[in-house]
Amino acid sequence: MAATSSSYPPPPPYYKLYKDYLEDPESAPKPPPPIEGSYQLYGATYTTDDVLPSLEDQGVRQLYPKGPNIDFKKELRSLNRELQLHILELADVLVERPSQYARRVEDVSLIFKNLHHLLNSLRPHQARATLIHILELQIQRRKQAVEDIKRRREVAQRLLKESLQISDGRLP
Amino acid sequence: MDVISQLQEQVNTIAALAFNSFGTLQRDAPAVQLSPNYPEPVAKPTEDAINVMEHPKTMSAALVKAAKQFDLLVSALPLSEGGEEAQLKQIAELQARNEAVGQELQKQLEDAEEELRRVRELFNQAADNCLNLEKPD
Repeated sequence: MAATSSSYPPPPPYYKLYKDYLEDPESAPKPPPPIEGSYQLYGATYTTDDVLPSLEDQGVRQLYPKGPNIDFKKELRSLNRELQLHILELADVLVERPSQYARRVEDVSLIFKNLHHLLNSLRPHQARATLIHILELQIQRRKQAVEDIKRRREVAQRLLKESLQISDGRLP
Repeated sequence: MDVISQLQEQVNTIAALAFNSFGTLQRDAPAVQLSPNYPEPVAKPTEDAINVMEHPKTMSAALVKAAKQFDLLVSALPLSEGGEEAQLKQIAELQARNEAVGQELQKQLEDAEEELRRVRELFNQAADNCLNLEKPD
């Protein structure tokens, strides 16, 4: 019995607190505020602060220079050249000294890891650029809506004036 | 697909090409004489040997082509301004402008609704006049 209750626990009994919600919305407790920081779920710890872990955190040597502003295009192209050179080196080693392949293979995989990390660190930039684009579109749409409303109001006022003139023309 | 995803796919393609090239060459390479003491290995002059000589050329061409494609994609990256601060500043400016235009839109909407209300009232009065309704005393 204890095993079943621990592997399939019943749902939490909070629903009983909302019995009189329809009559009195204040009698029931408010929902809990959003969690910040790290939280536990099914025995594992998760965090709400999602940030790309740096290469040193993963134990991988960083080949491109660190610093606040990285020239992504230049670094990507130089990493690509390095990759090609290392693949060629691997081919050479396999022909002449086949037992020393391990270091070359490690170098190639290091370059690949650096490449992927660089590309991943471009994603926040892409997110901000998308946000800028969306804001610009929204401003444009709102301006368009303002123009539309102005135009329609003018048309309506003109129609009213005309109808007033017509009705004045009819009455003595 | 956006440029960054295409770049990531291209990196994986290059990795797959390199992996497959080395694997194929290793599998299909003919035997090599290690030392002059041992007899030369029996070479099989079948069509397999001829095909095997073609592999390095096609595979290296594919690898180089994939690398060139990668460079092309890198040059297509729209990295116009430098830095996170410039982007954040632009976002703040756009938000302020958005707020201002939103206020104007709200005001226009309220004015238009007020006019609509007045027109409806006038219409009701005009309809009543036309029908000559009298209040029951």
